[in-house]
Amino acid sequence: MENIFLFGLFVDSFPKLLSRLHITLYIVAVALLFGMLLGTYIAVVRLHKVPILSQLAIAYVSFVRGIPILVLLYIVYIGLPLVVGWFGVNINRWDTMIFVMIAYIINTSAFLSEIIRSAVAGVELGQTEAAYSVGMTRWQAFYRIIAPQAIQIAMPALGNTIVSLLKDTSLAYTLGVIDLVGVIKAISSNTYRSLEAYAAAAIIFFVLSSLLEQGFKWIENKLGVTKKITIIGR
Amino acid sequence: MGFQFDVAFFAYEIGIGIKYIPIVLLLSIVPLIVGLLFGTGIAIVRLFKVRVLAKVFTVIVVFLRGVPLLLQLTILYLTVTLSFDSLAQTVGLKITSKDISYTLVAVVGLSINATVYLSEVVRTALQSVNSGQYEAAYSVGMTSGQMLKRIVIPQAMPVAIPLIGSNFIGLIKGSSIASLISVVELINGTLFEANGNYKFLEAYLASAIIYWALCIIVERIVASLEIRVGVYGKGGVV
Repeated sequence: MENIFLFGLFVDSFPKLLSRLHITLYIVAVALLFGMLLGTYIAVVRLHKVPILSQLAIAYVSFVRGIPILVLLYIVYIGLPLVVGWFGVNINRWDTMIFVMIAYIINTSAFLSEIIRSAVAGVELGQTEAAYSVGMTRWQAFYRIIAPQAIQIAMPALGNTIVSLLKDTSLAYTLGVIDLVGVIKAISSNTYRSLEAYAAAAIIFFVLSSLLEQGFKWIENKLGVTKKITIIGR
Repeated sequence: MGFQFDVAFFAYEIGIGIKYIPIVLLLSIVPLIVGLLFGTGIAIVRLFKVRVLAKVFTVIVVFLRGVPLLLQLTILYLTVTLSFDSLAQTVGLKITSKDISYTLVAVVGLSINATVYLSEVVRTALQSVNSGQYEAAYSVGMTSGQMLKRIVIPQAMPVAIPLIGSNFIGLIKGSSIASLISVVELINGTLFEANGNYKFLEAYLASAIIYWALCIIVERIVASLEIRVGVYGKGGVV
């Protein structure tokens, strides 16, 4: 029986994979930053029930949340140049990375907008009224009263979304980005084996997502999230 | 060159895609059922802290939760294809790795993935029931089975149903990853039709619409189930 798993190769693939880790983290960071901005904007539009925009936002969020990220990646990659080309702009020469990041920003914004919206809506109306009644302005009420409570509500879901965003970036390789997963192709074309490299990638993803989860647990403790939930739960 | 979008071909692709819905459902409903069965088992073992087994399951669940589905499926696919021939030879089977159905590999992979996540769902739901409820049930002389059926499950359902629903949607979307291990499902099915004319955008949009529709339908079903199980909730009328 031939060896199906070469341990030496498994160990050797770690440095090669880790040398492309920054690409994966870069996609996560960019998607998170811009996804948060866009998501907040969508949440505000929906919370204030801005006519037309609000309906568009509902359809956008529902569509993006309803399709696999794999399909979204390709729709952005093939579709965006066509749509932009309609306006006479040629983006065919853009780096693939830009399309990947746009796709992940779209995906993240839809999920984050729902989290932000439900967190803000989850703060009791009485809290806003109480803030107004003691003479706070709208901004003060939001900044001092609503936001701190909304962040507590949003924190667990936010952590989950970021961890799944990290795991979803494993699909970026399908468009040819050479990230943590994309580099496996390069390794396997040298060694004619890929199982070891995939296993190493699995370990790296596991460590990264565990670190993220622990980090979020720590933040949640700092913010007193767990305490609050147990109080509500009783 | 203007914006080219072949509406007729897009409509044709939607028709093709509809034919692949059964495969999408096979790749998501089977893992859902398997996941619920095994997941409940794992959750109970972990809740009652069964010796050794509970530790083993915890390690497996924590590890697999951190690994992307793509890697899980690929590793399973590679392991099966690499080890199958020699295994079949030793057992004396007359089939080679070329005869394995990749759909089956995908179903197994997705089932493992679903088991991990659903065990967490069941665990959360069972833990959401106050421990005083368990004690009260025992104190009035109920057996463990009676307690689960009459006291715990009715209270755990309102917590479990929405979580199971979102996991099911995750499975429907996750089945798309099976296309990467050469399973002919919705994405590969529609792409195959576009191979001749390179109208891949229409193909992808058609699969997107079908995935979207499936997700909306599941959301609706879950919402109506939530109302049904919600009658035992705190605000109910019963």
